[in-house]
Amino acid sequence: MAQYTAPRKQGLGPGFWPVTIGLTILNVIMSFGIANLDIDKYLPEAAAPAGDIDWLFKFLSVVGNTIFVYVVGYIVYFCIVWRRKASDGPDAIGIQIHDNPRLELWWTIVPTILMIVIAVFSVRIWISLQNTLGDVLTMESIGHQFKYEFRYPRLKQSVYDDMHIPVGTPITLHVTSADVIHSFWVPEVRIKADMVPGLVQTLRFTPEKIGTYRIICTEFCGKEHGNMVATLHIDSQQDFGHWIAAQFKAQGQGNGPINLASGQAAAGQALFGQKCSTCHSTGDFTQKIVGPGLGHLLNDPDHPNLVTGEKPNPEDIAHVLVNGYQGPDNSQGKSGPSIGVMPNRQANALSNADIANLDAFLVSLSQNKS
Amino acid sequence: MAVAVAHAGAVDNRDHIHPEPESFIAKYIFSIDAKVIGVQYMVAGLLFFIISGLLAEVVRTQLLTPQGAIVSNDTYNAVYSLHGSGMVWMTIIPLVTGGFGNYVMPLQIGARDVAFPWLNLVAFWMFPVAGVILFSSFLIGAPDAGWTEYPPISIQGPPGTSLWCVAIFLIGISSTLTGINFLVTILKMRAPGMTFTRMPLFVWAQLATAMLNMVATTALAGALLALFLERQFNVPFYDPGRGGSPLLWQHMFWFYSHPAVYIMILPAFGFISEIIPTFSRKPIFGYKMIAFSSIAIALLGFTVWAHHMFTSGMAPWMQLPFMILTMIIAVPTGIKIFGWTATLWGGKIEFHPAMLFSLGFIVVFTLGGVTGIFLSSVPVDLHWHGTYAVVAHIHYVLFGGSIFGIFAAVYYWWPKITGRMMSNKLGAVHFWMTFISFNATFLPMHWLGLMGMPRRVAQYSDTAPYLLNSFTLVNQFVSISSFVLAASTLVLLYNMASSLIAGKKAPPNPWNARTLEWQISSPPPYYNFKKIPAVLKNPYEFSEPLPYLGLDPSDKDDVHPDPTHHTPVGAHA
Repeated sequence: MAQYTAPRKQGLGPGFWPVTIGLTILNVIMSFGIANLDIDKYLPEAAAPAGDIDWLFKFLSVVGNTIFVYVVGYIVYFCIVWRRKASDGPDAIGIQIHDNPRLELWWTIVPTILMIVIAVFSVRIWISLQNTLGDVLTMESIGHQFKYEFRYPRLKQSVYDDMHIPVGTPITLHVTSADVIHSFWVPEVRIKADMVPGLVQTLRFTPEKIGTYRIICTEFCGKEHGNMVATLHIDSQQDFGHWIAAQFKAQGQGNGPINLASGQAAAGQALFGQKCSTCHSTGDFTQKIVGPGLGHLLNDPDHPNLVTGEKPNPEDIAHVLVNGYQGPDNSQGKSGPSIGVMPNRQANALSNADIANLDAFLVSLSQNKS
Repeated sequence: MAVAVAHAGAVDNRDHIHPEPESFIAKYIFSIDAKVIGVQYMVAGLLFFIISGLLAEVVRTQLLTPQGAIVSNDTYNAVYSLHGSGMVWMTIIPLVTGGFGNYVMPLQIGARDVAFPWLNLVAFWMFPVAGVILFSSFLIGAPDAGWTEYPPISIQGPPGTSLWCVAIFLIGISSTLTGINFLVTILKMRAPGMTFTRMPLFVWAQLATAMLNMVATTALAGALLALFLERQFNVPFYDPGRGGSPLLWQHMFWFYSHPAVYIMILPAFGFISEIIPTFSRKPIFGYKMIAFSSIAIALLGFTVWAHHMFTSGMAPWMQLPFMILTMIIAVPTGIKIFGWTATLWGGKIEFHPAMLFSLGFIVVFTLGGVTGIFLSSVPVDLHWHGTYAVVAHIHYVLFGGSIFGIFAAVYYWWPKITGRMMSNKLGAVHFWMTFISFNATFLPMHWLGLMGMPRRVAQYSDTAPYLLNSFTLVNQFVSISSFVLAASTLVLLYNMASSLIAGKKAPPNPWNARTLEWQISSPPPYYNFKKIPAVLKNPYEFSEPLPYLGLDPSDKDDVHPDPTHHTPVGAHA
């Protein structure tokens, strides 16, 4: 049976206060070190909430570091002072205390207060993330497997892979996805939002530092997830002006709406021979060359939809002609095997009139052969 | 106390004891003995631990170079998905509940078995079947969207994704059944005199875990069924193009998987709450606080699931309650950590391998808990989410927490289970090798994530733009450390094997521990206790005589069967 005699004078044990003071000094030094750490030097704070978030990060680091240093410090110290020594008999036992309500109360109250403080600071910064800021550039980004699409106001066609924004202008960015869940993360801005199909989320930030940064997908999105990156260019106001002007020019500013009603099937037939017949026949869907045959776009019971999954009508056919297509064959109403790549209007050099003519020809094909 | 004594004198359940089955199959394969089932869980869990661990090494080998060193993207995605699924569902959960729960818990409460032994048998056999189904998905195209399998990508995933649904559904049912079984066992089958506040802390942990297992797992079952129906029968639960909601999965999945984190960690808390007093020769500091904080963590654990979804697209105002509730969990968790640390004070600490792993557990789990606070704060989480910093955090709490706890439990209960001693020297080698290589593997991952490396990537950009300027260099350091970490497991396996072959015979109570399982022979006899003992006090009073009446340490298998007597619930072979 264990022999137990209470120690005559039950202090806190050898070296308790020196160790406590030592750990406290260590914590003060480390806290100063953390507080004075210039994170911007290691990972630039390129846009407005980054500075606030880094401040919160440093505050949490001070709290977390303090807890960690005390816990580990005391464990190591207790293990040294209160280890079983060679002189201890086999029945030697420790000091038989069970609890100390005052101590336990303290280590419940202090963490609770710390958590309240952390929550208050977190909520304050959280509120600032929700605010819409004055005169903003509102734009959209859409995730695709495996690239980013960017849409600018009044710019008719999307831009891919490179996002340009002017320094100093608050950005309101709506993000969503065309297929699976992606994510929009710029480490230098410190915020991200998942791009969820069927859902629009909003990110708000104000670019502050000119430079190029990484846009990274952090939600697994398929085979090339690791390579789904884009570049964020924070430009000077002037450079951004030049860039957006160049975009308008490159897209033939004033393309205007396509007037489908003006399409001439005969002109479209001639154009089909030049532009389309390398890859498409005018036969059944199954008479593929590279892409499917286009003779029965409107009335093929086996392929009730366009490859995009849209119902066949002149508008959506024009849509495919404008954007091209690169994806699975959804003409049977559910996701199917991948099909060939169809270039968009720029690559095929199609004017608005060309598209209207081709559209009219394709519609007439189905009508003739019904 | 007088009542308890009188009662104990009256309890002589000798004639309730069944004869041990004779045939090999009834004894070792389809046994209804909780101890045998516990060992079955441990053996199967160890096997799946090794497979899942080797998959992790494939991941780390791939990341030796930015372009991916050995496997294709598709294979890589399948490998890390099954690493995660295998570790969570086929290793940690079965080991901490089915394994050590079955073996130790009935012994600690002075019961001869669990309440429903046949249910226990059924629950166990679902586990290896589920494991085989899970890993056989490699044959037809394994799931590739991570252990979380977010739709819509998982709807389009390889055919094996449906097998994944089946396997996890099965193991979920097994968990639910075990939860019910343990809850009834702990509530109804404690030895006379074992009030709630006399229960060993491991039993408290199993009680909290059983509640979680019973309630939370059903949400996962619903989510999995819906995913399976959507994949196989085109029923649109999650496809937004047809009116489904991808977020529905995330809510249902995390409503289970956040409590699952506590299913994995609470029993580990229980392990070290037994080990630390034993090797400090002291009562646990603040018994009630540690016991009740398990229940508090279990209850709070149901209210915080959406902190995994701060970037997912919930209504922004919903982020606030989830953030604050998550921060509140830090308080009961802190109470435990401070309680264990204070237990060391004034002890006679013996650095047995089980104790080393328990101390290591507190250190690394505290770090994992601290990074948990960062992740709970919405603004900071917006940067951390989905990066290697999260990978680092989960490995600090699941490897540094649950697996360190399991290692500690292995060293602690090994002599009781096998009747053989392990080498303490090799145990210490195993600990230091694991502890150092673990930190070398996972600490740098925080840096990788915060500097811009997302998780679940088969390729990464070579140069980090700032500080150190190389993702490659850090990834190579991490990979090489992880190889050492894998090798450290060989030390454990060697230690186990040499103990089984040539280990010293274990005495009943090699550690002078005071819970009931140590007061009977090693390994315990088939019926555990010839007479059910009466319990007079909690098991942590090292200065007092053992608080049990009616124990006969010389218990030998001298029972003769009496086929005519009354049968306890479902226990008849």
